[in-house]
Amino acid sequence: MTKLRNVAVVGFAQAPIVAADEHHTGPEMLYPVVQAALESAGLERSDVDYQCAGSSDYVDGRAFSFSQVLEVMGAWPPVQDSHVEMDAIWAAHLVWVKMQAGESEVAIVCGFGKTSEGSPSHVLNLQLEPFYAAAIGLDPTSTAALQASAYMARSGADDRALAEIASKNRAAGAKNPDGQLREAATPEELMATPWAVKPLREGYLAPIGETATCMVLAVEGRAEKICDRPAWIHGVDHRIELQALGSRDLSRSESTTLAARNAFEMAGLASASAADVVELGSTNPAEELILRDALGLPASARAQGGPAINPSGSAQCANPLMNTGLLRLAEGFRQLSGRAGERGVPGAKRAVVHASAGHGLQQNIVWVLGTERRWS
Amino acid sequence: MSEPPKERVKYIDTNLNLPYHYYAGDYKALYLRALKDKKILGSRCSKSGKVFVPPVIASPETLAPCDELVELPHRGIVTTFCVVNVPVYGREIEIPYVVASVALDGADVSLYSLIQECAAADVHMGIRVEAVWKPDGERQGDHTDIRYFRPTGEPDAPFESFIHRL
Amino acid sequence: MKTFPKPATIEPMSQRMNVEFPYKRSTGEVVGRFLAGLRDQKKIWGLRVSRQGVVVPPQSYSEVDAKAGGEWVEVAETGVVTAVAEVTRPIEGLHPSSEPFAFVLVKLDGADTALAHVVLDRLDRLRVGSRVRATWAPDGERRGTIRDIEAFEIVD
Repeated sequence: MTKLRNVAVVGFAQAPIVAADEHHTGPEMLYPVVQAALESAGLERSDVDYQCAGSSDYVDGRAFSFSQVLEVMGAWPPVQDSHVEMDAIWAAHLVWVKMQAGESEVAIVCGFGKTSEGSPSHVLNLQLEPFYAAAIGLDPTSTAALQASAYMARSGADDRALAEIASKNRAAGAKNPDGQLREAATPEELMATPWAVKPLREGYLAPIGETATCMVLAVEGRAEKICDRPAWIHGVDHRIELQALGSRDLSRSESTTLAARNAFEMAGLASASAADVVELGSTNPAEELILRDALGLPASARAQGGPAINPSGSAQCANPLMNTGLLRLAEGFRQLSGRAGERGVPGAKRAVVHASAGHGLQQNIVWVLGTERRWS
Repeated sequence: MSEPPKERVKYIDTNLNLPYHYYAGDYKALYLRALKDKKILGSRCSKSGKVFVPPVIASPETLAPCDELVELPHRGIVTTFCVVNVPVYGREIEIPYVVASVALDGADVSLYSLIQECAAADVHMGIRVEAVWKPDGERQGDHTDIRYFRPTGEPDAPFESFIHRL
Repeated sequence: MKTFPKPATIEPMSQRMNVEFPYKRSTGEVVGRFLAGLRDQKKIWGLRVSRQGVVVPPQSYSEVDAKAGGEWVEVAETGVVTAVAEVTRPIEGLHPSSEPFAFVLVKLDGADTALAHVVLDRLDRLRVGSRVRATWAPDGERRGTIRDIEAFEIVD
């Protein structure tokens, strides 16, 4: 493996995840978050040499929506700035690439999206192929349910198996002060909730939520000075499935397996099971089971031993669009840097972080984080 | 037949209709509601002292909070402008007309407004103008409450006084 | 300049707005002929492309290796359901029915990929593995869209 530049997550801040912030615009939600992230890292804005945001014009309901947040991220004097029309975790990947290219030493990554102002069902329909898939009115909950049914048919997993995973996440989410859904629930209670789109129940899904996030990344030499316990990036890769839902095996996540293989090779990690923490960007329990399958992790919530899976409660307990993925990377940072409070996994040294974009786990990114530098 | 028709469907009409429920945010809500009371609000940067109108929560320059809201005078200077000679859909106004950037006295950024009650050819950079409001009872708390600005007849402002407030 | 005192509580200000995008999308050769087949022939055509087999509905290239072109193959209007999503509360202005219905993926007989569509009736009997058949919009009402197939119905 080629020796790469050591890059670490050194700071993170977020706004509370709420159903709707009626008092602030997206940029106004982000402003105090950027300030808090910089302050937590002991940085001035002038110490940051690159910034990148993840957001969506359709989510925000305005064209060139990213340009409005420049004012609160730092626009003057003119800065190096980029944007991805994706979850902000892909902005973090772009920052990592930029740092590998030697063009940045300290950078911020921001996510924002006023999910409550639009209709996620209508908006995310537009992510689909227009003539055949978007045209029949598919929404993300329905495509997730299609995927869940395909997985259940292949694996034999039943409603209870989903409920047990969901219940485990709800119990974890109850301990996460930065989450949205913070009430534990038993499998029986969740199995009694109505169908959202069958085979997915309302109790298996996150409510609509919104937040703003800001992460600070820095290269070796800077990271150690900024943060007492940086979370070093040991490996990362992302892969995408075929576009048509009916062209791929929805019951599996081959792109996750591929991305993980490459990220693990970069990291020198034998498998996901060898990590202490695994944080998955699954928005429902069927996705979690598919991802566990793709990563060689146990297919049951009751399995003992192995890494802690989704200590944050996962995206099933909070799914603020454009931030959901970056929150997974933040969880990896919090776990490895002793910032996870009551839910902290004792002695955690390596974390596997996953996030997804698009319908039915369309695109998947896998990271490996560690408490020690990978290359020195 | 062993293949689909040669005469293909060339286009699909996709009429997207997306529902939104936009929130103005507290600062813009205060700004718009104040217009109803014939007040123009700005916010002052806690670091540089610069005044932004409409108010912003933080200065884009210093990134410091702009916690203080201030009331601005209704007079200012045309900093830059254009003469519109094409009809714009939905705008019932006789062409040519002038759209200008107006820097209110004491403000460090300018507002956009129409300039009326004078010939388009008479508008120039530095001309002093004042707000003309909708009458009491007709103001709704939106940006149309200021109908337009008109020349005051005061002497022109020197170029240096507004070049940084375009 | 006078300071304006901030009120202790501020009533949120909001505005509902529907944003419309009147797009006219070009279909291209393959999608356009597939849709014409639905409208004019009541036939479902697939395209045999590189490394994917018979793709239904077709694109003008292989999704696997991006090779262009392929051979037209007519597939059956019957097939097997590979995934089911049963919608109990349809979303207005988005979903194709105001009554409970199901989205399905259907692998048509003769196809190697599955088509996304809907089942409107007898949902209690619908599951992965069900045999279904296309029902068509009436003559004169087919517009050259994927909805020219009205739905799929369960075959006993």
